[in-house]
Amino acid sequence: MSSYVLPGDSIPLNLILLPGEPDPKLILGPGLIRQDEDSAMSTKAGIPHSNETERKWFVESNQRRYVPSAGEDVLGIITAKTSEYYRVDIGAAHAAVLDSLAFEGVTRRSKPNLKVGTLIYAQISEANKDIDAELTCINPATNRADGYGVLDKGYIYMIKCSLGLCRRLRNEEHPIWTRLRQKYKFEVIVAVNGRICLKSNSARATIETIEIANAIKEHDV
Amino acid sequence: MSRKELLNPAGLRVDGRRATDIRRISCKPSVLSQADGSAYIEQGNTKCLAAVYGPREPRQKSAILHNRANISVGVSFAPFATSERKKWSKSDKRLLEIASFVKQTFEPVIQTTSFPRSQIDIFLQILQFDGGTIQICINATTMALVDAGIPMNDYVCACTAGVIQNVPILDLNLIEESSDSPEVTVAILADSEKVTLLQSESRLDVDSFQAVAQLAKIGCKEIRNVMDAALRKNIKDLFGKMEAKIKTDQSADFRLGLNLSRRLENFKAGPIIRSAVNGVRYTHIAILSGHQNLGGK
Repeated sequence: MSSYVLPGDSIPLNLILLPGEPDPKLILGPGLIRQDEDSAMSTKAGIPHSNETERKWFVESNQRRYVPSAGEDVLGIITAKTSEYYRVDIGAAHAAVLDSLAFEGVTRRSKPNLKVGTLIYAQISEANKDIDAELTCINPATNRADGYGVLDKGYIYMIKCSLGLCRRLRNEEHPIWTRLRQKYKFEVIVAVNGRICLKSNSARATIETIEIANAIKEHDV
Repeated sequence: MSRKELLNPAGLRVDGRRATDIRRISCKPSVLSQADGSAYIEQGNTKCLAAVYGPREPRQKSAILHNRANISVGVSFAPFATSERKKWSKSDKRLLEIASFVKQTFEPVIQTTSFPRSQIDIFLQILQFDGGTIQICINATTMALVDAGIPMNDYVCACTAGVIQNVPILDLNLIEESSDSPEVTVAILADSEKVTLLQSESRLDVDSFQAVAQLAKIGCKEIRNVMDAALRKNIKDLFGKMEAKIKTDQSADFRLGLNLSRRLENFKAGPIIRSAVNGVRYTHIAILSGHQNLGGK
């Protein structure tokens, strides 16, 4: 497989039929569409990856705009408020919707009253290209907050970067983190929608978090 | 006043090119940090900057399409682009026409059905004009869209061709365009070679049309090779920047901006190392943490 593909390039699939399998099922991930029986076509520029035993192919590409997908953690900013839900900007094509009751331990009487401009960390519960994405601040597996919710304690600083960089920074052993860990103490949330949130507890530490943010931004493309 | 010969007896045009030479092209994607995708392209003396935003929320409710993304193109000329300084109005008919050609060219190519009810904004600015506006706008848009990661079926390359003294010529500059030479712009898809735009405003007799259109397609393929190389190099650099190499002696060296290393004064800055990894040459300051020696040249 060639190392880089551009839109329009063909990627051979090399499907080997197992005995007794009339129609090989395969999984084409982001950046690929089926071209004909034996090849897929790339629609994005990037590096193709494949796992031939599990029949999965995808193109690893980089972009700045996020496309929502269910189950992913995102950082969003509230842009509008209605009685039933909040509109949240997550850096995608459309604003997402966060139900006012989608927080831990909340009833109709004790709804949290969030202001426009609040930063929240949520999980996408439903995403479809035809409707606005829906967010929830409850972990569906445990029905508890588990870190999701409003981020307003301490000094918060959010930066935007490309999606590829965020994916790599989610690895704790990334050299940037090992370097910065040696010098600073900080709390960071790396979301998949191209946003990173740094938290510090004192005014002095805020200056250090800004240094860290600039370090990350310079590492970006 | 003597009139310049568009094609002299030796077969050279006004700028010294042969009939089938295209102008020198240089192109670079990812030039603007705030846009989702951007590109800068120069074809001879014509220079164009493209910025792509999207898919994002449409600005006007009337522009929302229920099943696909709306592509909106805006073309503008800088006041210093032409030989006489001129302020161009946003709704200049010529600019709107160029914008609609670009939109038509890309509508079948971009996978708009993946992003219903959203808008993809393409902004093109011509910084210097020396002929070939539509072709350079299309080429710049292609690179900017690939840079933005917007899924496309293929990418589009465009070129102009014309006829001077019964000789088909490729890639007309401003002097040749303003003369009475007919001009045809052809845009093709890079791999399948299907034509997505064929445009001409001048009169061209049908017998020479075949030769001229074929020549334009050949020009498109040459332009395609240059853009292809630039895009592949850009991805290579992009992924090279995102990888960090960890050496066995546990000192990580990765590309840091020089400003950053000056700010982290507590780290000891090591020697400037020039090395080549995967064929990508880069210079960086190695951050040492107690290790004095990081050999290698």
